Amino acid sequence: MRNALLIAVREFLDNTQTRGFWFGILLVPLLWLVASQVPLILARKGTPTRHVALIDTTAGERLFDVVLDQLKTAESRRELFHFREWAASRLKPGQALPAVDKQPQAWSRFQEDLGPLMKADAGQFAPPAPLNRLVALPAELQWRGDLSEFEGRLRDWMRAGRLFKPLGVDEEVPLFAVAILQDGLTSNAPPILRFWSVNQADTQLQDRLVDALSRNFRSREYSRLGMDSSSIARVEGSQAQLMSFNPRKAEGEEQVGVADLLRQWAPSAFVYLLWIAVFSISQMLLNSLIEERSNRILEVLLSSVTPLELMTGKLVGVAAVGAVMTLGWIGSLVLMTFWTLHTAGAAAMAADSIAHRLPLELATLLLDSWLLPAFVLYFLLGYLFYAAVILALGSTCNNLKEAQNFTGVIALLMMVPLVSITFIPKDPNGPVATVLSWIPPYTPFVMMNRVAANPPLREVIGTLVLLLLSDVAVLWGCARIFKTAVLRTGQPASLVQLARWVLGRD
Amino acid sequence: MPAALELRHVSKSFGRFHAVQDLSLSVPAGSVYGFLGPNGAGKTTSLRIILGMLSPDSGELSVLGSPSAMSVRNRVGYLPEEKGLYSKMTAASVIAYFATLKGLSSTRANQRARELLGRYGLGAFADKKVETLSKGMGQKVQVLASIAHDPELVLLDEPFSGLDPVNQEVLEDILVDLKARGCTILFSTHVMSHAERLCDRLIILGGGRGLFEGTVSEARSLLPIRITLETAEASPLLGILPGVRSMEAYSSNRWRLELEPGASASAVLESCFERSLRLRRFDVQDPDLHEVFVHLVGPSARETALR
Repeated sequence: MRNALLIAVREFLDNTQTRGFWFGILLVPLLWLVASQVPLILARKGTPTRHVALIDTTAGERLFDVVLDQLKTAESRRELFHFREWAASRLKPGQALPAVDKQPQAWSRFQEDLGPLMKADAGQFAPPAPLNRLVALPAELQWRGDLSEFEGRLRDWMRAGRLFKPLGVDEEVPLFAVAILQDGLTSNAPPILRFWSVNQADTQLQDRLVDALSRNFRSREYSRLGMDSSSIARVEGSQAQLMSFNPRKAEGEEQVGVADLLRQWAPSAFVYLLWIAVFSISQMLLNSLIEERSNRILEVLLSSVTPLELMTGKLVGVAAVGAVMTLGWIGSLVLMTFWTLHTAGAAAMAADSIAHRLPLELATLLLDSWLLPAFVLYFLLGYLFYAAVILALGSTCNNLKEAQNFTGVIALLMMVPLVSITFIPKDPNGPVATVLSWIPPYTPFVMMNRVAANPPLREVIGTLVLLLLSDVAVLWGCARIFKTAVLRTGQPASLVQLARWVLGRD
Repeated sequence: MPAALELRHVSKSFGRFHAVQDLSLSVPAGSVYGFLGPNGAGKTTSLRIILGMLSPDSGELSVLGSPSAMSVRNRVGYLPEEKGLYSKMTAASVIAYFATLKGLSSTRANQRARELLGRYGLGAFADKKVETLSKGMGQKVQVLASIAHDPELVLLDEPFSGLDPVNQEVLEDILVDLKARGCTILFSTHVMSHAERLCDRLIILGGGRGLFEGTVSEARSLLPIRITLETAEASPLLGILPGVRSMEAYSSNRWRLELEPGASASAVLESCFERSLRLRRFDVQDPDLHEVFVHLVGPSARETALR
């Protein structure tokens, strides 16, 4: 076994001494960092102010004011968000942000309450530039009372991508959108918003305007029908309270919280890691084998080691690569969680906020549950299954192009557990999950995903035994193919030929 | 001299193709043994059988006294026909790696790698990645990798192919050094001059069979001696010279003679003097290995090539 170990060490070093490997490890937390931080950075720095014009052609109610109110409220809320963030990082040690009402009227009181909690050198808060600024249209786009004539001019103007200098703005800017408010088609119909903008992807502004107009219309309709609109608004705003309980939890602690949700969905994240790990290291294994096969290193190796030693060495070496890779991912994700929390200002978070408890819950989950042992076990068993098949098929191919015909089929088969990641946690002990658990190539992924749902013990043991037996059978068959095919040249083997090699008939 | 390697009636077929048929050979310990044959003659298959990578269908073999090379693999070195190394490893580490697979400790393997690279002119490239070396250098590195563990038996499959004349000489030096320290060398080649210069014994294969086995001079004696003879004047007496099997006249006073097997050129010369022939030229040409090779394998090799 000394030679198998030597081969394993070389395989491990060969794969881990490349920049690509470490880049791959860093990529996962990096993507996570980007996904979690970019929206915050964008919110902090702010997207450039968008200039919006509003034309109210309605005859009755002054809808212009309704829209204006809506835009002002949205800007105030945004300003409050930035103010809270600014204040959170300037609190005296041990202080937490007081609660704040969503109504703008209460905000000045919030700022007063905050005063004594802040550090002496907190400085002055600089409000961010507004997201949407309401502007008057340029002279050539003045409203002349004819909608189609106006829209004709507007279309040409916006299509040309022209810039203009609105009142109170020092530079030339593009017109982001023009909102035209129009009466409904009948006297009791809600108003129409004609929204002109070259940016149709960001619907936030038009959604807000439609929402404000709808609420205003409903309120007017309630009044017209003799109903108390404020009472209706209050009733409509009320919602039943949800208290979720899990009978499997300890007595007195049945209520479901963040930790439970985390516990339910964490296995899915591990399945995803498991899938990426098995898929990518199987590819590494194939590349390494094809390199050795295509440049005839295999022949030299086989004058020194037996095919079984060679296969074992490669399997162990690449498994170690996979272990480093997944440990790197898990470790860096945990570190990133703590780091994110730290930079967000841990002290500022309310004691019961999700962000504050997440790292602790995550750490507790990893250390106290079966997640890590199950991950290690299923990683090894799943990897052995796929790696042995890849090695056997790779040993019959002369180059990567030939090998891709086989790996394409394997990749397709591996799509099933990937697709199942989201639906299995919703019905972890249902018929689909149960059936998939008993199919050995899918067992590691599906059972890993079911860990949190306490599947029946007989299924856990039964599927594990079946997977183990399958691994042994696959390793045995693949070793036979490997031994026969590894020095062979010419066309890749057919399925019949592979079967003959497994049965020792060739 | 005891045999380092022996094959007795070894055969191997792949389906209906007979790659090796009833092959027998004996390589004396400490000798250099040539493995000659055209493409498809069964050389590589025979080497793989010797190395234990393939099992023979029938026959027996003895490698350093063992029935299987795998049990004595640490005492055997092997260089395959198609050369390849791990391109991302350095020259020294790749030699050391293969030496550790042959049982050397990591420290000793590293020492040996650097020692060999220095001895054969590659010391400055010890820490260069294989992918940065020239083809010839890479090939030398691979030869060194096959001998770094001080094997008792070395099997080299076409070691000279792809090497320029200077590197061919370096390789010859390596083989001479190996022989000097008692190593048994078996190498296959298409280049007859290497076999003539280096081999103590050789085998010529054709169609998977051994067509000849013996020393270089024994191989040469398979073909008749030829003499080019020129006299001062035309002479009709040449036909009765002793031991001459055939005669071809180039002109009235210039002939090409082919002697009977075993006949000697000196007897012909004596007979010329006895007949008072005034010789202007008496040029004896021993057959070389190339001619012997073409004579033995020519027809079958040509058929294989055209097929």
